[in-house]
Amino acid sequence: MNADRHGTHAHDSVTATDTDAAQESGPSTDPELNARIRPMRSGGNTLPWKLLSLLLALALAFSLWTGHRGATGQAEGGTVADSVTVGLKLAPTNLDIRNQSGTALDQLLIGNVYQGLVSRDSRNRVRPGLARTWNVSEDGLVYTFNLHEGIRFSNNHALRAQDVVDSIRGLMAGHYQGSEMLEGFQDVEATDPLTVRLTLSRPYQDLLWQLSGRAGLVFDRRAHYDMKTQAVGSGPYLLESFRPNDSVTLKADPHYWGSDKPKTPTIVIRYLNDDNAAVNALRSGDVQVLAPVTENLASSFRNNPDFQVKEGNDTDKYVLAMNGKGAATSDPRVRKAIRYAIDHRQLIASRGGSDRALGGPIPSLDPGYQDLTGLYPHDPEQARRLLSQAGYGPDHRLKLRLTYANTYGSELGDQLRSQLRQVGIDLDVRVVEFSVWLQDVHANKDYDLSLVDHGESHDFHQWANPNYYYNYDNHQVQELYQKAMATTSADDSNRLLAQAARIVSNDAAADWLFNYRVTTAWRTGLEGFPVDLNQSLMPLSDVTYRRG
Amino acid sequence: MSWEHTDRPRRGSRAAFPGRLGFLGRMRVVLASMWRKASERYSLIVLVMWILFSLVSRFWTPVPIWTTDGYRIWQAPSRDHLLGTDGTGADILSWLMAGSATNLAISLLAVLLSGVLGLLLVMAMVSRRSGVSQVVVVLVDALISLPTVLLALILAVPLGPSIAVVVVACGFGYGLNLARIVRPQALLAAESDYVQSARHSGVGSFRIFCTHLVPNVIPVLCVQLSMSAGTSVLAEAGLTYLGVGVPSGLPSWGHSLTTSVKFINVFPLTVLWPGLVVTMVVVALNLFGDALRDAIDPVTNPGLRAAVAAAGRSALQPAPQAVSAQLDDSDHLVENAMYAGEGGNDVAKY
Amino acid sequence: MARFLMRRLVLFVLALMGISLLIFLALRILPGDVAAVMAGLDAPPERVDRLRRQMGLDRSYPRQYLDWISDFLKGDLGRSILTNRSIASQVGIRAQITFPLILLGLGVALLLGIPLGCAAALARSPRMQSFSHMAAIVGGSVPALWSGLLLIMLFAKGSGLIGLLPSQGFPTLGWAQPGQALAALILPALSTGIIVGAGIMRYTRSLLGDMLSSGYVDMGMACGMTRTQAALRIGLRLASPQLVSVVGLTMAEMITGVMVSENLFALPGLGSMLITDVGNRDLPAVQSELLLLAAFFLFLGLLVDVTHKLIDPRFRGAARQEVAD
Repeated sequence: MNADRHGTHAHDSVTATDTDAAQESGPSTDPELNARIRPMRSGGNTLPWKLLSLLLALALAFSLWTGHRGATGQAEGGTVADSVTVGLKLAPTNLDIRNQSGTALDQLLIGNVYQGLVSRDSRNRVRPGLARTWNVSEDGLVYTFNLHEGIRFSNNHALRAQDVVDSIRGLMAGHYQGSEMLEGFQDVEATDPLTVRLTLSRPYQDLLWQLSGRAGLVFDRRAHYDMKTQAVGSGPYLLESFRPNDSVTLKADPHYWGSDKPKTPTIVIRYLNDDNAAVNALRSGDVQVLAPVTENLASSFRNNPDFQVKEGNDTDKYVLAMNGKGAATSDPRVRKAIRYAIDHRQLIASRGGSDRALGGPIPSLDPGYQDLTGLYPHDPEQARRLLSQAGYGPDHRLKLRLTYANTYGSELGDQLRSQLRQVGIDLDVRVVEFSVWLQDVHANKDYDLSLVDHGESHDFHQWANPNYYYNYDNHQVQELYQKAMATTSADDSNRLLAQAARIVSNDAAADWLFNYRVTTAWRTGLEGFPVDLNQSLMPLSDVTYRRG
Repeated sequence: MSWEHTDRPRRGSRAAFPGRLGFLGRMRVVLASMWRKASERYSLIVLVMWILFSLVSRFWTPVPIWTTDGYRIWQAPSRDHLLGTDGTGADILSWLMAGSATNLAISLLAVLLSGVLGLLLVMAMVSRRSGVSQVVVVLVDALISLPTVLLALILAVPLGPSIAVVVVACGFGYGLNLARIVRPQALLAAESDYVQSARHSGVGSFRIFCTHLVPNVIPVLCVQLSMSAGTSVLAEAGLTYLGVGVPSGLPSWGHSLTTSVKFINVFPLTVLWPGLVVTMVVVALNLFGDALRDAIDPVTNPGLRAAVAAAGRSALQPAPQAVSAQLDDSDHLVENAMYAGEGGNDVAKY
Repeated sequence: MARFLMRRLVLFVLALMGISLLIFLALRILPGDVAAVMAGLDAPPERVDRLRRQMGLDRSYPRQYLDWISDFLKGDLGRSILTNRSIASQVGIRAQITFPLILLGLGVALLLGIPLGCAAALARSPRMQSFSHMAAIVGGSVPALWSGLLLIMLFAKGSGLIGLLPSQGFPTLGWAQPGQALAALILPALSTGIIVGAGIMRYTRSLLGDMLSSGYVDMGMACGMTRTQAALRIGLRLASPQLVSVVGLTMAEMITGVMVSENLFALPGLGSMLITDVGNRDLPAVQSELLLLAAFFLFLGLLVDVTHKLIDPRFRGAARQEVAD
């Protein structure tokens, strides 16, 4: 038994009791105790080496296994499912579309639960919504909207012109999300139960498009509910349940007024923040469609007949903002050097190759787009020249800090650090919580470089606002933007915006890393899910799923 | 055998080995005796490699860590990249090497903090003012059940993810644990005759603590601190994954593990390496503590005893018998105070 | 015993107060403002101010603290600023995932740890002993994240080598679908349980080893039991107070593993709720959740201490002796 104890304890771990036991055979004047002293090290114990080699063998086994398991194809036909589960990534924290920012709410609610005066199509053009038709006065100051007849909210209240008026007035009075976009708003009134007249103090080219977003949403003035947890609108779907960060269940409204009746009775939206979780959910059939699916992970669906994968166009711009008043970045040579130093094609390749290079502030789906990618091609030599002109060199390396929110992951920061290093810029990358970013960068403008995915559409106004966190103050751009908004001709407006965008890009006010294109993957048999713009506009009434 | 015969160690008997052997000589004997057993050899090799890699990575890595290549992401191991590349095309081996420095720093700092905190608490616990000692004992009991991650979260809210969060959260938790485990031994030593006589001859209590109590608890300390180092490596991985540990942009094993998690479906291999490294090192640390405990203690290491004896003929003196007599009376005390320490740190939970 | 209990209770309350203050202060020095997060990038200052007023962020700090604590003591954990839901009800919903997960994990750990620990302690061949020793050490040295990943790669439905179990998410209907709900928790429970089980195994082994060499087991054998019988009937019973303590504290420390698992397996439990709320700067939610967790674990510690004292026969003996003296 004593031998037993020695065997057990001699190389046991850690514990106080063990410690006691291990010390037991101390030399002592007591001969009996001394007699029991035995050498501790009893022969070679090869176990750890065996375990190590086992682990290494395991490693080898995994390296031979690529983790791809094909599935059998499924024939067309079969039953139409009465429920479809959609996997999305970013969950809205609450449903208060008037106060809570973020496109996750637009994506979920606009067009599905809430509806606006006008709507958008998948190419970002304005289409009729609650308003059947509208006309604009010659001087661009008076907009008259004619509402559809028989519109009902999901609580069966009729939607009248007065609801529209109250919604827009409430928006302006409460400074709700979208109110700042109704430039020159003067008044809105109901001339009869189906006609709304909106007047502006000065022409505003973007008004209709803005009304297709949050600014134009119409709420039931007689309904009282907690907007953070419930939603009552006139759209084709009713919000049945909302579990924050987890799921939303939408039920088709059987009494929906419009012609775009929902084709699937129940749609469950699940928020899968973890990319792997999302891919597994699609593969195992927990969700039938996934948007976005990380491009690098989409490859496993591409050659599989069970799944369809498609990239959609979008207006997401990954902007590397450069502080116009930063210690070093106020020097245009530094900003230009940074633009030359960045290899956009490599960035895009590392992300799977579906994104598109973007040379300026306006993406292809927005008015005023033109291809500006030729302005600053990848040219490290040129970057080094510009830096040395600005007074930096091997003895005096330029040190910059890149601050961005942790939602974008560390990869982009690592890559920028590596690329800028090659031209002699030391980048200190700080990845912070979004709220810290808001405080330091957005509010206090205390930064050199920052990285944000500006997903908003029609957001060129950022460059015409000298108080925005870019600290970009160019009178010519501001003037062009004002003109573009004030003109009543869409073509003129586009031309002026394009002109302004070229100046912003030339000034290297920022670098536009790429235009993020959302990859959507779905099970074969699913149809009608929007592919373009689906991160901000996801009408679900056409979605059907035919089980194989 | 009866309960009194449980061969409790002769606490205080270590004072019988003042030794004339110099520190280096002692180290040589200690290392040699550790080298003899395979599991201890393994732990020595891994730890030496850890330290070596940490130092080397400050000056050299196979590929500079800030070298990315967007065209060569998630590559399988090759001649250029021995362990392949990650999602930015950076070299995984280089990142692991660079990470070893961060993890070494975290472990050392956490161990240092927990050691200092633990000993301070023990000092208060064996203090002769019973008010102080009672309060501290119960306070430690009350706080010991707070999980490390909770403290880390509280700290991370204002500080953001940082090394300090990991170090403080680990150091605090392990310090409490250490105090709880060391207390019984320290108490026994405090009640021993030689401490009493030192006290009577007017030696200050701080001095007594340093010269008599600390040497007596060194074996437990070795085991505990070494294991804390291992647990802190695991904690770093867990906390970094949860977003409250090492900030991104700083290489660490937790960071490597976290970034590779994203793509396990497509590139399962990349997640293997950091996990393997962490496991190997933590195993080594666990083995190392035990090995060191056995090896530095002349009571359990005959080789060291012989060396000490050879160095100073007069070193061997009889152990005070009174201590062992005292032990039996204090058995229930030991048991009661000792029970929880074990579970706290021992069970790795990350 | 009564004195011990009193002292312990007072300390429990004091520790909780201290922690509540720590949590409150930690959450106030942080940069960033939940109103600004909610208002978004293009928000005019009026909107931010209005939101801040609505959320009660314009009260003084002592006021906020006292309001919070008094509500907390009344059982009102407040409402999340962002979702406007009662935090208590959210915690209740989330706990339905986290606590079963902890219990399952603990079950796995005990089922693995205690039998294996006993077997290891009773094993006579040195080979078996060193094998079990190493297995326990290696098992306890694996990061939970990694063990979870390995389990996913092996057993996850859809992507694993042997696709058996779901590895992502929890059924939408929760425990109304008991089969699916349980299946969703198996892999996460295994990934935390195995690691913790290794620790328990190690502990059981050393504890039982001690008991084996104590007189009690010898006594049992003298009375005609076999060594195994004596060890399990007498040794294990004597070791049970310590085992209770270990299990209690293990539960406390398992929470990190559980949080990692929840994130990895996309389970909407308390851990992932806490992490999300910290990210969103949802102050009322974060502070109440943190305090609730702290209270829970402090209470667990208290419970463990008291149980330990109650069931330890030697302590009872000592206590009686004390009385007799």
